[in-house]
Formats: sequence, structure tokens, C-alpha cells
Amino acid sequence: MQNKRFAVVFSMLLVLAMVLSACTAVPAAPAQPAADAGAAGEAAAPASDIKIGLVTDVGRVNDRSFNQSAWEGVVQAATALGLTEGEGYKYIETQDSKDYADNIQQFIDAGFNVIVTVGFAMGEATAKAAAENPDIYFIGVDQFQGEPIANVTGLVFNEDQSGFLAGALAAQLSKSGTIAAVLGTDLVPPVVAFKEGYELGAKYINPDINLISTYHPGEISQAFVDPEWGAATAKQALDQKADVIFGAGGQTGNGALQEVASAPGAGTDVFCIGVDTDQWETLPAAHPCLVSSAMKLITPATIELINTYAADGTMTAGNYFGGAGLAPFHDFDEKIPQEVKDKLDEIAAGLADGSLTTGYQP
Amino acid sequence: MGKRRYRVTSYIIGGLILVFIVMAILVNTTSLGDSTWMRVFFGISALNFTLRASVPLILGAMCGILCERTGIINIGIEGMMLAGAFAAFVAKTNTNDWPLLASLLFGVAAALVTGGLMGLLHGVFSIRYRMDQIISGTVLIILAAGLTAYLFDRNAVAEGKFGTIAIPGLSQIPVLGEVIFTNPPLTYTTLILVVVIHIGFFYTRWGLRSRACGEHPRAADTVGINVNRFRYMNTIIGGMLAGLAGGFLVLEAVGQFQEGMTAGRGFISLAAMIFGNWMPFGAMGASLLFGYTQALQNELLLAGVTTVPRQFVSMIPYIVTIVAVSGFVGRVRPPAAEGKVYETEGGSE
Repeated sequence: MQNKRFAVVFSMLLVLAMVLSACTAVPAAPAQPAADAGAAGEAAAPASDIKIGLVTDVGRVNDRSFNQSAWEGVVQAATALGLTEGEGYKYIETQDSKDYADNIQQFIDAGFNVIVTVGFAMGEATAKAAAENPDIYFIGVDQFQGEPIANVTGLVFNEDQSGFLAGALAAQLSKSGTIAAVLGTDLVPPVVAFKEGYELGAKYINPDINLISTYHPGEISQAFVDPEWGAATAKQALDQKADVIFGAGGQTGNGALQEVASAPGAGTDVFCIGVDTDQWETLPAAHPCLVSSAMKLITPATIELINTYAADGTMTAGNYFGGAGLAPFHDFDEKIPQEVKDKLDEIAAGLADGSLTTGYQP
Repeated sequence: MGKRRYRVTSYIIGGLILVFIVMAILVNTTSLGDSTWMRVFFGISALNFTLRASVPLILGAMCGILCERTGIINIGIEGMMLAGAFAAFVAKTNTNDWPLLASLLFGVAAALVTGGLMGLLHGVFSIRYRMDQIISGTVLIILAAGLTAYLFDRNAVAEGKFGTIAIPGLSQIPVLGEVIFTNPPLTYTTLILVVVIHIGFFYTRWGLRSRACGEHPRAADTVGINVNRFRYMNTIIGGMLAGLAGGFLVLEAVGQFQEGMTAGRGFISLAAMIFGNWMPFGAMGASLLFGYTQALQNELLLAGVTTVPRQFVSMIPYIVTIVAVSGFVGRVRPPAAEGKVYETEGGSE
């Protein structure tokens, strides 16, 4: 009797917990697998005394999305500087958003002097750590700096511009007159910028286009890692006659792209557009439908910032705008009509020289 | 008295379902569908989403029913699902060069076996070692989350997933054909399983004996039923169903594995099981309701409706569950001997 009541109460508590946290959290992450530090024995000290640490946003360093892009930037810059992994540069994967500050602190304690923090959500923790450690240089990917801090560079992008191009492409490809976007969460400004840019770009081509887009209903820690929701939502959009789908939201968006890739008519009647990186390279499963990706070029910008610091020790305060644009069409290169390409080039040129604005107000 | 009330509620529920189906057909075939609101509630896309989102919940709830009806509480469904999903993914990625169907079926088999093993583990913990079943279930969840995250090779790519099969003839029925009879194989399997489990539980010797083990194990033992053997068996079968839910996520829904990709579906299916009063069709109904609210949430956004905050819509299933569990709408009753270790009279096992 006792036990039965306990079971009912327990189930109710679980349900309640879910209401409170607006759906689910997977309990207990595994023990932090420390970055593979095989460098203990090799004591070849690098010429420069720079040590670069990268803290990922919740997720993995090889997430085929922006954590990975930032890490690749670190790897390339560090390799050029002659650093060894583990000794001169390493990463920590964040398992839970409440660990942001602790993970940053681990690098500070270990004497790292360049710390890259990835993701909008880590902005607060980064700013706090930067204020306490003025000698350490922080690069905050996707962290817009409202009030510049001397030792923080906010690496930001004009997502609305690459979104605008993606929207212009989508509107030109669409035959049904309905295009969709399956998005991470509106709690993250860059995602909103992608979406608004996409819609404005589509309307720029066709003012009457029917735009349907939806954000993941969960909180930040859920919104980018729910591929099944992304896939089911993409199907929902296809059912509503959308024929171009923009998947923008980490694994959630990838789920949407894969769904479109396996839908009937993928690559001939329905298309998908990826986000952040050139997803042709990172998500082979989406090849059947992936015409392009709305990119933000995190890797080159990260390299650039690290190199600047390594060369003359300058910390760029405030915001640094990295490049943003469309990825190559790859296999779809021949299928996309020349006038569509010309139009996109024209828009890209217009955005670059300022003669055209997306009209997005953050 | 109880019986009568039961009948009245089932009439009401049946009536509501009928109205819903009629509305769905009208909206999708007549000019009623010109109204945005009608499409939000009854559009084909909403119905498709509902079924799809419900499948893992239904399977999870069936797992819960099988275990709990024989007296084993299973809150580890989430872990069983995740383990099944992971096994399916590993099996699929290692057989990418096989013919697609063979490779997918191998993935399903792997999911079933792994789910079954998780069920066996739960059985061993809670029957052999008489561990508190809540704790044992929690162990499964943590184990699955940790192991799969640790072993997951993020560069592995599963190529291909189950496609839809339109059932000849039936798929031509307007609306219903498109929603119910044009689906991928695991979805059909799930719907069939619900019927099979219902019949198994209420019309076969196995079902009667299973239920006896969950309601009054002493009595079952007295007439010569090996209670613990039934408990083991049903926990393992239940585990296989939860594993299949994981297989569904990887092989049919997404085509890829992701750490923690079950995202709480195991817990929601527990809620569906309770809400459905430990009955297969009840649990299926509850799962569909949960799926439907998720669909609505998306439909509202897709239709550009922002007057209703979507968080409210997503709260509905949980509120409904709390109301149901707290005994407002009829009483839900768990099996009497649930969660109790059973020992034979002599004390030895």
C-alpha cells in the first residue's frame, strides 16, 4: 500500500517537474570526459606562451555545427602557432548550462590565456570571468557586446544577411508559393535574425509568398538537440505544401533537413537549406535536398582573432563581425538556373556595399 | 456501479472521437478548410504530426503496462528507449553496405534485443535482488544516458530510414487513408501491437495470469503460477517494446542518433499509462492526446497565431494528467500488488 502510493506520488512529481521545466531534462549527464590529453609526456614547449581553451555550448565539440566550427578555428590557429593539443590548446564540453562558469574557471586555473566561449547563452558567464581576469583574452562566439569590455571580443555575424540570401533563394526555387523554416528557439537572437532575414529575403523576391515557420517549444538547453521534433515539424510543413525548408537550429534543424531529404520529390520538388556551416560537408544525409546553407564563417573569424592576439597582443574590444553568406550549391550547381544565381549575386553585392539592407531591426 | 460509470465515460469518449473524425474529414475535404482555425485543429498536417509524435509514447506506455500489470514498476522506460535507439543506430551504421531493408531490420532487431536486455536487468535488480523498483528504474535511466553518450561516435552516419508504405485500397479513403494508412512500417506495427496487447491481456490465459501476478500474487501462486517467471517475462517483453520505441526514433523518425534524443518521451509515456488507467487503448488515447497538443502548438505557430502563448498549449497534457491522476475524472487504479517483491511462502525464491 505504502509503495503504491509512493509510485503514484512519484509519477505525479515527475509530471509536475516536467510542467515546471516546460518539458523534460535528461537526468544526470555522464562524467565529464576530459579532453583527450595525450600530451602529458611530450614536453616540447611551444615557441609562443599562448594557451587556448575552448568551452563549448551544451553539446559536443564535433556537433557538425557551430561548436565544431569554432573548435576548427582554434585548431588551425594553434597548429599554425606550433601548439600541441592538450598542452597548448584544448576544449571542455559543457554538459549542462549551469556549468558554464565552472568550465571557464577550469581554464583560468590551468593558466590558459585565450579562452573561446561558444554560444549566446554563455555571454553572461564570459563577461563575468573577463571582468575578474583582465589579463586573459576572451572570444565570445555569438555574444553581442552591448557595453564593450576591454578583454572580450564578441564574434558576431550578420545572420540576417545570410538568412536574407537563403530566403531569396528559397522564394525563387519554390513552385508552391509556400516556404517554411524550422528553427531552434526565439530565445537566441542569432536564430531570430536568421528567421527574420529569411522571411524578408523571401518577400523581397515575392511579396505574396506564404511563409510558415516555427520555433522549438522547449527551453534553450532542449531547443537545439531535438532532431525528432525537427523532423516531425518539417513533415508538418511539407504537409502544408511548403516546398523549401530552412532548418536552422543545431541538431533540431538537422532533423528537419534529413526529413526533407527522405521526403518524396527531394531535390526535384522539395528542397532544404542548412545553417551555420556549409552543411553539405557536415551533414551528408541531407545531400538529396540540400541546395545551400546560410553560413556564418566562424572558423576563419576565430583564426583571425587568435592570430591578431598572437601577433601583437591586442585584444579587440567590442564586436567583431565575421563573414556571412550562402554556401556553394555543390551538386545542385547545374540545376539552379543562371538567373537565380545572378539575382543572388546581385543581392549579395548590394548587401556588401550597403546599397541594399535587409530591413531587420534586432 | 463502477461498471456503469465506466460505460458512460467510454460513450462520451467514443462520441468525442467520432465528432473529431467527422470534423477532420469535413475540414480536409470541404470548404470548411478555408478557415485558418479549422485547419489548425483538424488539418492533415496536424493529424500526421499527432500520430508520429505519439508512436514512441504509445510503445513506451505499452512497456509500462506490461511491467506494471504484472507488478513491476518501471520508471526506466526512458533509459530502455535510449538504449534501444542507440543499439539501432550502431547496428544501422555498421551495416550501411547491406541492402537498405535488411540493414534497417537488423537495426530493429538490435533495438529489440537491447531493450529486452534492459528489461532483464530491471527484472534481475527488482526480482532477484529485491531492489526498490523505483531506484532500479532510475539506475537504468542514468546507465543508458551515460553509456550511450560515452560510446556514441558522432561521425557515424546512418544511411537511409524506413519510408512510408501506402496500404493499397485503404490509403485511398479521404483523410483517414492519408493519416492512418500511409505510414512507415513501425507505425503500423505499433498500432497493431496495441490491439495484440489488449487481446493478449484480456482474452488469453497469459493475460489473465499476468494480471493475477500484478493484483494478487499470493493467489496466483496458490493456483500454481510461477509469479516471478511471469514478472521476468513481461518485463523483458516490455523492455523490447521500449527498445522498439527507440528504434522508431532512429530508424523511422530521424534517421540519426543524438545523445539524449528520447528527450523525456519515456516519462511522458508513463504519464500516458497512468492517464490511460493501465489499459492499452486508454494509454494509446492518452498518447495521442499528448501528441495532438504538440501538433497544435506547432500548427498555431505555423499559422502565425500568436494570441495564444504556445507554452500554455504545451502545458495542457500535463495539466490533464495531473487532473486525471488526482482522481477528478473517474479514478485511475494501479495494479494492487505493484512494486511489491513477491516471495513464496517458504521464503526462498
